[in-house]
Amino acid sequence: MPEALPVPLLSAAPEPPRRGRLTVEIRQHATGWHQGLVLAGGLALGMALATAILLACGVGLSDLIQEFVVSVVSSPASLSAVLIQAAPLAIVGLAAAVAFRVRFWNIGIEGQMILGAVAATAVAIHDVGPAPLRLVLMMLVAALAGMAWVLAPALLKIRLGLNEVISTLLLNYVAFNGLLHLLYGAWRDPASSFPNSEQYEAAERLGELGWENLTWALPLAGLLTVLCWWLLNVSRFGFLSRVAEANPRLGEGQGLPMTRVMLAAALLSGGLAGIAGFSICAGVEYRMTQSFFSGYGFSGILIAFLARNNPLGAFVTAILVGVLFVAGQSLQVFYGIPGAMVQLIQAVIVISVAASDFFVRHRVRWVSGRRSDV
Amino acid sequence: MFRPFLTTCLAAALALSPALPVLAAPFKLKGEPKVAMVIFGQKNDGGWSQAADEARVKMEAGLGMKIPAVDGVKENATAIRPVVELFIKRGHNIIIGTAFGYSDTFKELSEKYPDVAFFNLSGTTNGPNLESVYGRTYESQYLCGMAAGAASKTGKLGFVAANPFGVVNWTISAYELGARKTNPNATLNVVYTGAWNDPVKERAAAQALAEQGVDVLGQHVDTPATQIIAQERGILGTGHHRDMREFAPKATICSSVWTWDKFFVPEIKKVIAGTWEPAPYGAFITIADGGTDIACCGTAVPKAAAEAIMAERAAIIAGKHVFAGPLEDREGKLRVPAGQTLSDADLWKMDWYVKGVTTQK
Repeated sequence: MPEALPVPLLSAAPEPPRRGRLTVEIRQHATGWHQGLVLAGGLALGMALATAILLACGVGLSDLIQEFVVSVVSSPASLSAVLIQAAPLAIVGLAAAVAFRVRFWNIGIEGQMILGAVAATAVAIHDVGPAPLRLVLMMLVAALAGMAWVLAPALLKIRLGLNEVISTLLLNYVAFNGLLHLLYGAWRDPASSFPNSEQYEAAERLGELGWENLTWALPLAGLLTVLCWWLLNVSRFGFLSRVAEANPRLGEGQGLPMTRVMLAAALLSGGLAGIAGFSICAGVEYRMTQSFFSGYGFSGILIAFLARNNPLGAFVTAILVGVLFVAGQSLQVFYGIPGAMVQLIQAVIVISVAASDFFVRHRVRWVSGRRSDV
Repeated sequence: MFRPFLTTCLAAALALSPALPVLAAPFKLKGEPKVAMVIFGQKNDGGWSQAADEARVKMEAGLGMKIPAVDGVKENATAIRPVVELFIKRGHNIIIGTAFGYSDTFKELSEKYPDVAFFNLSGTTNGPNLESVYGRTYESQYLCGMAAGAASKTGKLGFVAANPFGVVNWTISAYELGARKTNPNATLNVVYTGAWNDPVKERAAAQALAEQGVDVLGQHVDTPATQIIAQERGILGTGHHRDMREFAPKATICSSVWTWDKFFVPEIKKVIAGTWEPAPYGAFITIADGGTDIACCGTAVPKAAAEAIMAERAAIIAGKHVFAGPLEDREGKLRVPAGQTLSDADLWKMDWYVKGVTTQK
């Protein structure tokens, strides 16, 4: 009988390395203030890098403070520009956050916005329903059309396991070409023969709030934010969505309706995207144009990511993105900084903030080396 | 934009009502003139936006002032409005926009700021202090079509175009008319890419046309991709927006080029002098006034043809219309009767092509 080797019940602690080094460990739980601190650090680093780039471009430090802080906050025109920009951004941010919460990667937000706008415009062009109810009807059909556009990818994912990243992304192109087909064909503006829809009538436009150019799009975004917050953070659906986010198989094993939760979240996401399309056409452009949706899909993904799929966070992030955008424009106007440089600076700031997430999810420690005299 | 129509209207209005001339009072600028430009694409896009920016530099010299510009301003009201208002806040009172999609926002801003003069390249809206400006691009494209017809050996020409509507359709038909002038059997195959700025699709379209045996490629999109393909394939090409010899020196035989400064220097001097009266239907300008002109001709165009092109250019400046009757569309329907020319209103909504043009369905 061979001699049994001594097997230690617990493996001995690993020997400390010869020299000191950095180790990275996964952080199980980060407190709220820790998250906030890390985010602020990322933002500060991004701003510092951006400032360095701008100083190298020959913009003075005091000018920068003036443009970014004083003029954006103190000038009503700039502030309203930020808020007007923020309203649709917040809604697409919500659309992305709701879907991402249940790990449904909806890359088709722009396509769903287009479908929403097409439905709303159809109601506007054909004067469906009584004028006082027209806007509500437009919003409703926009939401339904957005939902319809995401339904197929959602069902394909559930039934056939088809990757929704691909299906939602590709449907964007279908929607865009459909939009062009309408705008260069049946819906071409009869007044100018140019490729956009005819202008909406007064009853088909979101009313102004009476301050600068702000419209009801902003309160609408606020209302949707609160609703989504309630849904994701308070309601039973929110709890189920957390299970779906953490481990849908476990949820399924516990008899929770994971599939239905995913489908509902995907539809909600599509509906919100449809409403975003409606809010731009009825609240900003007052018609359906060829490019009203352009860039919003990726902005929505970005906002949801930065806000960690938290609806309230998405609203705040949308406003910050608006500030970044308007301040970037004033840099171009007043200092002749090229547009490409402004985009570079914006990207640097966003990447710093996004990358700071690493320090929320991980702990980086310095492990000191073995002392040589032992 | 419909000048003859407008003249009739104005004449009628003047005859009917003595109160109406108030509308036509010249615009008075308040304060020192300061011009600014809002550019749709990137300043160095090689095409439409760069042409506007290059005109801006020439205007700075012609007017003796700095003209700041912001580029990359998309066709969304949320993007346009803050830029323009920032300029106005800094005392700029002459604003030049550069995109069709700015039309509504410029109209709204011109009403909000009645003391600021607005111009918009390829816009559709006008007002007492707002003028949309576009060139009669069919003139220069017609002349480049002549160069293409003269240089082609196969008589098969290709054209890469953005989207099928008035301003693009008229360049296509004019191109074919020009080509048939120098080569009566010339045919034109057109591919629409569905986008103004998509070099990948433009490349694919140009290559497909080259595969079909086309030996001269024309274009009406925003990038130089088509000419670059022509050079790669060893065939010829004609450009639009700017002189495409910059990108394809061997292949480019003619370019239809914007000369905005030629229009804007005198126009802005009028604004400054207080004599500017924006055309109520927009300024629709000819080669003579600074719309598009040609950079012509490459060595592949025979000398006699080059002379014929220049003679035709002189005739256009003297008043010749490219779309003069009798003119039939490709289905054989008479579109312009003999002795008449195509009206501006019909040009803007042109949805037909002359004989010899083949397009996607």
